[in-house]
Amino acid sequence: MLVSNSGPDAASRAALNLLIEKLPGLSPIDGGSSAEPMTSADPPILRSAQIVEGSSLRAVKVPDVARDTVSGFGAFLDGAQKIQVLGHQHGIPVVLGTISAAVRVRVNRRLVTWGHQPPRVERAMYLPLRYLPALRPDVVAALAKSAWRVVDTSTADRNGEYPSMHPAVLVERAIRAVDQQREELEDRLAEAWCALGEAPLFIDGGISRTPGVAASTCAVGVIKSHRTLYVEGDALKVVMGLKMGERSSVFRVSPRSRSAVLSWYLRQRAAGGHDAMWGLVRVEVAECDRPTERADEISRWVLAETSPLALPDGRWDKMSYGIRDCEEFLRAIS
Amino acid sequence: MSEALGRVVATERKPNTPHEFHFWTAIDSPVGIGTIVRVDGSHPMDGQIPHIYGIIVEGFSYTDLQSPMHDVLGHDGLPTTAGYAATERAEIRLYTAAVLRQMPEEPLQPVPMGQVFLADERDVQVALRMDSYLRDGASTGIPVGVYRAGATDAVIYLDADFLLGPEAAHLNITGVSGLATKTSAVEWLLASLFKHFPEEKGSIAAVCFNVKGPDLCYLDQPGHIEEADKALYEKLEVEPEPFDKVQYFAPYTAKGLTLNTFRNNEALLDNVVPLTWGLREVLQFAEVLLNKDDVDAKADALIDFIKENIVDKEFRDPVLTKTHKVQSFADLDAWFRDVLQGMERKDGESWRTHHVATIRKVRNRLSNISTRCAGLVTDSGDVSDLPFGSFEDRTVYVVDVANLEEDAQDLIFARIVSKLREHLERRDLGVKHLVVFVDELNKYAPGDGADTYVRKMLLDIAERGRYLGLVLFSAQQFRSQVHRRVVGNSGTALFGRMDPDELTTPGYAVLSPATRTKLATLEKGQLMIRHPHFTQPIFVRFPRPSVMQGREGAERYPQASDVPLDAAILRALRPLDPTITLSWVQEITALFTEEEVLKARNATLLARPANVKGYFESQFRKIIPTQTPPRPMAATIKTAPENDPYGF
Repeated sequence: MLVSNSGPDAASRAALNLLIEKLPGLSPIDGGSSAEPMTSADPPILRSAQIVEGSSLRAVKVPDVARDTVSGFGAFLDGAQKIQVLGHQHGIPVVLGTISAAVRVRVNRRLVTWGHQPPRVERAMYLPLRYLPALRPDVVAALAKSAWRVVDTSTADRNGEYPSMHPAVLVERAIRAVDQQREELEDRLAEAWCALGEAPLFIDGGISRTPGVAASTCAVGVIKSHRTLYVEGDALKVVMGLKMGERSSVFRVSPRSRSAVLSWYLRQRAAGGHDAMWGLVRVEVAECDRPTERADEISRWVLAETSPLALPDGRWDKMSYGIRDCEEFLRAIS
Repeated sequence: MSEALGRVVATERKPNTPHEFHFWTAIDSPVGIGTIVRVDGSHPMDGQIPHIYGIIVEGFSYTDLQSPMHDVLGHDGLPTTAGYAATERAEIRLYTAAVLRQMPEEPLQPVPMGQVFLADERDVQVALRMDSYLRDGASTGIPVGVYRAGATDAVIYLDADFLLGPEAAHLNITGVSGLATKTSAVEWLLASLFKHFPEEKGSIAAVCFNVKGPDLCYLDQPGHIEEADKALYEKLEVEPEPFDKVQYFAPYTAKGLTLNTFRNNEALLDNVVPLTWGLREVLQFAEVLLNKDDVDAKADALIDFIKENIVDKEFRDPVLTKTHKVQSFADLDAWFRDVLQGMERKDGESWRTHHVATIRKVRNRLSNISTRCAGLVTDSGDVSDLPFGSFEDRTVYVVDVANLEEDAQDLIFARIVSKLREHLERRDLGVKHLVVFVDELNKYAPGDGADTYVRKMLLDIAERGRYLGLVLFSAQQFRSQVHRRVVGNSGTALFGRMDPDELTTPGYAVLSPATRTKLATLEKGQLMIRHPHFTQPIFVRFPRPSVMQGREGAERYPQASDVPLDAAILRALRPLDPTITLSWVQEITALFTEEEVLKARNATLLARPANVKGYFESQFRKIIPTQTPPRPMAATIKTAPENDPYGF
């Protein structure tokens, strides 16, 4: 997922002009300020998982890895989001969010945009309507009819509580909403790909959010961040000690309200001289009968995708070049 | 409508201007340096969608790689493993194009964003402003070659008004030696000119000086044309045939027996005319042959006196033993001898204010001319010359000076060009427009060095020739070393493959590095063209000339070696009368000196009479063959009777 924080563009300027017209007293922020991606409110945790390959988690050398290993991935999926605080009315933030997602298909070793589903770019205004009384329902309706969708960030949570008027809380609410909508956009594209059953799709992130994708043999999720580690105790040592080209045993991840998928850790690059997470990714695939063979095959593909390097992206140790290409593409169109 | 092949892009660091823009294309787009493209603007201006035409002058290619080191790391320092990468890096083809034309032309604005298309034939005409002179019924276009890019195959035309005058004129071609590009291009262009030069603009002919090798010696002989060239000829609407009307001129060798040209093979002599001049013709251009050290003011005064008072006039003087009428170098030498002897008799130091030393010096220098230019200059005064006054339309006159000494080359060039100029000024040359082709301009009109007569003449043609209809087609290897005013006055410039060192000289700084690189690697048959209507140089392909190439001609028609006098006479006369035999020549010439025989030959060749045998024979003075008187029969000695010793 790409998070960009570029300055004002034509879209944000148009949005601001519209809001100034509809919202008297709005104080624009010069150039618009970018909201940094929100780190999860949840602390980093270790969580146990059910091992499905053997009885204990161990390091497995991925077999038959060679320089000329051919990757089976036929496409890459990633999403991007851009969040800009355009202004405020008495401290109440007005946020513009842009989300996008695309599938890039590999044809003759070059990546092109998937023709079946064009890349998606969506923009919306994230407004705490409860605290912006000037925006009467008819005005909101008028905004919604224009090119700008309006998302209310001041609705009550599942406990029936409304967010406070603290500007930071409201910005956080907006960021969560943008994040969620970007994930939905990615999921829609992934579902469309899997429905067609084309070549295996390399997805940046997990695949368990939607049942269709989680059950598809076409979808392979590769997760670069490890706020939640699905290992404990000695298993953690095994994972942290994985050498380049080694994977962990396959385990099952069954998050609440999500589909169960098979998963394993894979060390893409030698971690010597770096932190323990260097080059470490977690792979997710749908449940299958022969998890060992599946994990070996997919691991070979993921390792094959480490060339060419995703530099100059700072996450190049874990990122495949195909995902970097998606991000660059989305940066260009959104 | 064709598909777009690129999109205009501009950034703050690389903005577009009214004269330059940038665009990207797919990796496999059929574009490269020299390709002409059209940009369709997105927004109308004054109700008209702007169209911008440009020619690619620079190309860039790069990937998203930030440092080469990243690629090394990515492949563990092993280049062979790079081919195994699952994905090729994103790569861009970014081109810079120089604007050829904007439509509408006003207001002139920076090139807008828009789609880029490969220019089709019509676009090429508009881009190069050829539409202004390719109007139906009033076309002055002269096809010079074919521009090719992708599916586009467009004929490029030069404007005759800017090639032969009066608007601009002259053509200069530069290229390395050995590829035959320069000569081939001129041969092709002459063929195209003869075919397409508008009838209403009058007649046209060409005088070509063959200064080296046999390249121009077989213009009337068919050459080998490949299928690709035939297609080019068809596209350019020129028949792939040798020149219909060609006349060759060459002096004799020093011995005077054979013509001093590569084209002296007997099979080709029917249109080869000897080039011989006498005293009158040479004296007019004496300064070409006499350098400043030779001719001081005093000597110059004496030469003028001779020109004004001696040549072709009956001259008497008390110091002379007889009346002289000087018409040849031989006569002049006799006159000098008489003057000097007369002065000796009188023991005088000067004659008519001319000092004896000056007279001796001038005699020495002038007499020496016939030796230095032997074969061209005749002692006898026989003149065989170009047909000044009766030049014919669409005819090539080749003057072969390739095997001559430098002095003789200079003399020939100076005199012929002067005569052409005189006749064109009087409008009585026979044609209205005349192209003069001179190769090796590095030698004849160098940028530095002595200010020679020949260089002055070339400058004069370059600067004033177009008003007369005298057009200079010139060629050289190093344009930078040719006099600036000669190349600067050439409205049209062609460039074949160039020497890389030459391309580093300041004259080529206006070309982009990519264009210079392309120039250094041009294939045979490709040219870069600059023409007044074209705002940028254009690359074209021209067909191989449909004439026999010099090397092939020299092999098929070997140069005749020196032969005995009778064989030389036979070779010279037989093209005029094929019934002449060696035995006939031997019979006619047996009693005469070599000088007399050559004089008779020259006169016959000059006259080209219907009855060649009779004319040739009539040139000899009547000599009654000496007859050996019959030997008187000796009286029989009577023998004495054996029995009568006194019986006589």
